[in-house]
Amino acid sequence: MNLAHFEALFIFGLLVSIVFSLINKTSPKEQLKYGSMVFLSFLAVAFVVGWLMFPFPA
Amino acid sequence: MTETIEQHQEADPGPASTAVCLEPMGLAKSLAICASGWLVPGLSHLLLGRWGRGLMFTAAVIAMFLFGVAMHGRLYDFTPDQPLHIFAFFANAGVGLPYIFAQRMGYGVGQLSSPTYDYGNTYLWVAGLLNYLVVLDAFDIAKGRKP
Repeated sequence: MNLAHFEALFIFGLLVSIVFSLINKTSPKEQLKYGSMVFLSFLAVAFVVGWLMFPFPA
Repeated sequence: MTETIEQHQEADPGPASTAVCLEPMGLAKSLAICASGWLVPGLSHLLLGRWGRGLMFTAAVIAMFLFGVAMHGRLYDFTPDQPLHIFAFFANAGVGLPYIFAQRMGYGVGQLSSPTYDYGNTYLWVAGLLNYLVVLDAFDIAKGRKP
Protein backbone atom coordinates (compact mmCIF):
# COMPACT_ATOMS: atom_id res chain seq x y z
CA MET A 1 0.00 0.00 0.00
CA ASN A 2 1.54 3.29 -1.10
CA LEU A 3 -0.11 6.26 0.55
CA ALA A 4 0.95 9.85 0.00
CA HIS A 5 2.25 11.72 3.01
CA PHE A 6 -0.98 13.67 3.44
CA GLU A 7 -3.14 10.56 3.11
CA ALA A 8 -1.09 8.77 5.77
CA LEU A 9 -1.34 11.82 8.03
CA PHE A 10 -5.10 12.10 7.47
CA ILE A 11 -5.79 8.47 8.40
CA PHE A 12 -3.36 8.60 11.33
CA GLY A 13 -4.93 11.77 12.73
CA LEU A 14 -8.43 10.40 12.30
CA LEU A 15 -7.75 7.12 14.13
CA VAL A 16 -5.76 8.73 16.95
CA SER A 17 -8.34 11.47 17.48
CA ILE A 18 -11.12 8.87 17.72
CA VAL A 19 -9.28 7.01 20.49
CA PHE A 20 -8.28 10.20 22.33
CA SER A 21 -11.81 11.58 22.27
CA LEU A 22 -13.34 8.34 23.56
CA ILE A 23 -10.78 8.12 26.36
CA ASN A 24 -10.91 11.73 27.49
CA LYS A 25 -14.60 12.62 27.17
CA THR A 26 -17.76 10.84 28.24
CA SER A 27 -20.72 12.39 26.43
CA PRO A 28 -21.06 11.99 22.64
CA LYS A 29 -21.30 15.74 22.12
CA GLU A 30 -18.05 16.37 24.01
CA GLN A 31 -16.36 13.48 22.22
CA LEU A 32 -17.28 14.88 18.82
CA LYS A 33 -16.08 18.35 19.74
CA TYR A 34 -12.82 17.17 21.30
CA GLY A 35 -12.13 14.62 18.54
CA SER A 36 -12.68 17.23 15.83
CA MET A 37 -10.33 19.63 17.61
CA VAL A 38 -7.58 17.00 17.94
CA PHE A 39 -7.99 15.92 14.31
CA LEU A 40 -7.90 19.48 12.96
CA SER A 41 -4.90 20.22 15.20
CA PHE A 42 -3.02 17.30 13.63
CA LEU A 43 -3.69 18.68 10.16
CA ALA A 44 -2.96 22.29 11.10
CA VAL A 45 0.35 21.48 12.81
CA ALA A 46 1.43 19.38 9.83
CA PHE A 47 0.73 22.28 7.44
CA VAL A 48 2.52 24.81 9.66
CA VAL A 49 5.59 22.61 10.13
CA GLY A 50 5.57 21.81 6.41
CA TRP A 51 5.64 25.49 5.48
CA LEU A 52 8.32 26.23 8.09
CA MET A 53 10.53 23.61 6.46
CA PHE A 54 9.83 24.91 2.94
CA PRO A 55 12.93 27.21 2.71
CA PHE A 56 15.28 24.38 3.62
CA PRO A 57 16.75 22.24 0.82
CA ALA A 58 15.30 18.74 0.45
CA MET B 1 -17.71 3.29 48.53
CA THR B 2 -21.02 4.88 47.56
CA GLU B 3 -19.75 8.23 48.75
CA THR B 4 -16.76 7.96 46.43
CA ILE B 5 -18.96 7.29 43.43
CA GLU B 6 -21.29 10.13 44.26
CA GLN B 7 -18.39 12.50 44.82
CA HIS B 8 -16.93 11.57 41.45
CA GLN B 9 -20.22 12.13 39.68
CA GLU B 10 -20.64 15.50 41.36
CA ALA B 11 -17.11 16.52 40.48
CA ASP B 12 -17.28 15.74 36.78
CA PRO B 13 -20.75 14.86 35.60
CA GLY B 14 -20.35 16.22 32.04
CA PRO B 15 -23.08 18.32 30.47
CA ALA B 16 -25.03 15.54 28.80
CA SER B 17 -23.45 12.52 30.45
CA THR B 18 -25.82 9.75 31.53
CA ALA B 19 -23.14 7.10 32.12
CA VAL B 20 -22.56 6.02 35.69
CA CYS B 21 -19.47 4.67 37.42
CA LEU B 22 -19.38 0.94 38.13
CA GLU B 23 -18.96 -0.51 41.58
CA PRO B 24 -15.19 -0.85 42.06
CA MET B 25 -13.99 -4.36 41.19
CA GLY B 26 -11.28 -6.34 42.95
CA LEU B 27 -7.70 -6.03 41.77
CA ALA B 28 -7.54 -9.56 40.34
CA LYS B 29 -10.73 -9.10 38.32
CA SER B 30 -9.62 -5.67 37.12
CA LEU B 31 -6.25 -7.04 36.01
CA ALA B 32 -7.93 -9.96 34.23
CA ILE B 33 -10.11 -7.51 32.32
CA CYS B 34 -7.03 -5.44 31.45
CA ALA B 35 -5.22 -8.55 30.22
CA SER B 36 -8.14 -9.39 27.94
CA GLY B 37 -8.06 -5.84 26.61
CA TRP B 38 -4.35 -6.10 25.92
CA LEU B 39 -4.79 -9.39 24.03
CA VAL B 40 -7.79 -8.20 22.00
CA PRO B 41 -8.03 -4.42 21.66
CA GLY B 42 -11.34 -3.12 22.99
CA LEU B 43 -12.38 -6.41 24.62
CA SER B 44 -11.98 -5.02 28.14
CA HIS B 45 -14.55 -2.30 27.42
CA LEU B 46 -16.93 -4.86 25.93
CA LEU B 47 -16.61 -6.97 29.09
CA LEU B 48 -17.35 -3.88 31.18
CA GLY B 49 -20.52 -3.23 29.16
CA ARG B 50 -19.12 -0.22 27.29
CA TRP B 51 -20.16 -1.59 23.90
CA GLY B 52 -19.94 1.54 21.82
CA ARG B 53 -16.54 2.57 23.07
CA GLY B 54 -15.24 -1.00 22.96
CA LEU B 55 -16.19 -1.50 19.32
CA MET B 56 -14.74 1.86 18.34
CA PHE B 57 -11.47 1.05 20.11
CA THR B 58 -11.31 -2.35 18.41
CA ALA B 59 -11.93 -0.80 15.00
CA ALA B 60 -9.46 2.07 15.47
CA VAL B 61 -6.57 0.04 16.91
CA ILE B 62 -6.94 -2.91 14.53
CA ALA B 63 -7.30 -0.56 11.53
CA MET B 64 -4.14 1.27 12.53
CA PHE B 65 -2.29 -2.03 12.93
CA LEU B 66 -3.47 -3.33 9.55
CA PHE B 67 -2.53 -0.08 7.82
CA GLY B 68 0.92 -0.37 9.41
CA VAL B 69 1.40 -3.91 8.14
CA ALA B 70 0.06 -2.97 4.70
CA MET B 71 2.54 -0.08 4.52
CA HIS B 72 5.42 -2.55 5.00
CA GLY B 73 6.18 -1.55 8.58
CA ARG B 74 8.33 -3.77 10.75
CA LEU B 75 7.20 -5.76 13.79
CA TYR B 76 10.12 -5.86 16.20
CA ASP B 77 11.13 -8.93 18.20
CA PHE B 78 12.49 -8.90 21.71
CA THR B 79 16.24 -8.61 21.11
CA PRO B 80 18.16 -7.82 24.34
CA ASP B 81 21.44 -7.38 22.44
CA GLN B 82 19.94 -4.32 20.69
CA PRO B 83 18.63 -2.19 23.59
CA LEU B 84 16.90 0.44 21.44
CA HIS B 85 14.78 -2.24 19.77
CA ILE B 86 13.26 -3.06 23.15
CA PHE B 87 11.25 0.19 23.00
CA ALA B 88 9.99 -0.67 19.52
CA PHE B 89 9.12 -4.18 20.72
CA PHE B 90 7.24 -2.75 23.71
CA ALA B 91 5.22 -0.47 21.43
CA ASN B 92 4.53 -3.22 18.88
CA ALA B 93 3.53 -5.77 21.52
CA GLY B 94 0.83 -3.45 22.87
CA VAL B 95 -1.58 -4.69 20.21
CA GLY B 96 -1.58 -8.18 21.74
CA LEU B 97 -2.83 -11.13 19.71
CA PRO B 98 -2.79 -9.38 16.30
CA TYR B 99 0.95 -8.75 16.82
CA ILE B 100 1.57 -12.42 17.65
CA PHE B 101 -0.55 -13.71 14.75
CA ALA B 102 1.00 -11.29 12.25
CA GLN B 103 4.51 -12.35 13.27
CA ARG B 104 3.67 -16.05 13.14
CA MET B 105 2.17 -15.60 9.66
CA GLY B 106 5.27 -13.85 8.38
CA TYR B 107 3.89 -10.31 8.16
CA GLY B 108 5.67 -7.27 9.53
CA VAL B 109 9.08 -8.19 8.14
CA GLY B 110 9.65 -4.56 7.18
CA GLN B 111 10.61 -3.55 3.67
CA LEU B 112 13.25 -0.81 3.87
CA SER B 113 12.97 -0.01 0.16
CA SER B 114 9.27 0.82 0.48
CA PRO B 115 8.50 4.57 0.52
CA THR B 116 5.95 3.97 3.28
CA TYR B 117 8.24 1.92 5.53
CA ASP B 118 8.59 4.70 8.12
CA TYR B 119 4.87 5.46 8.06
CA GLY B 120 4.18 1.78 8.56
CA ASN B 121 6.51 1.61 11.55
CA THR B 122 4.85 4.64 13.10
CA TYR B 123 1.38 3.18 12.58
CA LEU B 124 2.43 -0.11 14.20
CA TRP B 125 4.03 1.57 17.20
CA VAL B 126 1.15 3.96 17.77
CA ALA B 127 -1.44 1.16 17.45
CA GLY B 128 0.25 -0.65 20.35
CA LEU B 129 0.71 2.47 22.45
CA LEU B 130 -2.93 3.47 21.92
CA ASN B 131 -4.00 0.05 23.12
CA TYR B 132 -2.03 0.54 26.32
CA LEU B 133 -4.01 3.75 26.87
CA VAL B 134 -7.25 1.89 26.17
CA VAL B 135 -6.30 -0.77 28.73
CA LEU B 136 -5.55 1.90 31.36
CA ASP B 137 -8.93 3.48 30.60
CA ALA B 138 -10.60 0.10 31.16
CA PHE B 139 -8.75 -0.25 34.47
CA ASP B 140 -10.13 3.11 35.63
CA ILE B 141 -13.65 2.05 34.62
CA ALA B 142 -13.28 -1.29 36.44
CA LYS B 143 -12.11 0.54 39.55
CA GLY B 144 -15.12 2.86 39.41
CA ARG B 145 -13.01 5.97 38.84
CA LYS B 146 -14.72 7.02 35.62
CA PRO B 147 -17.99 6.23 33.85
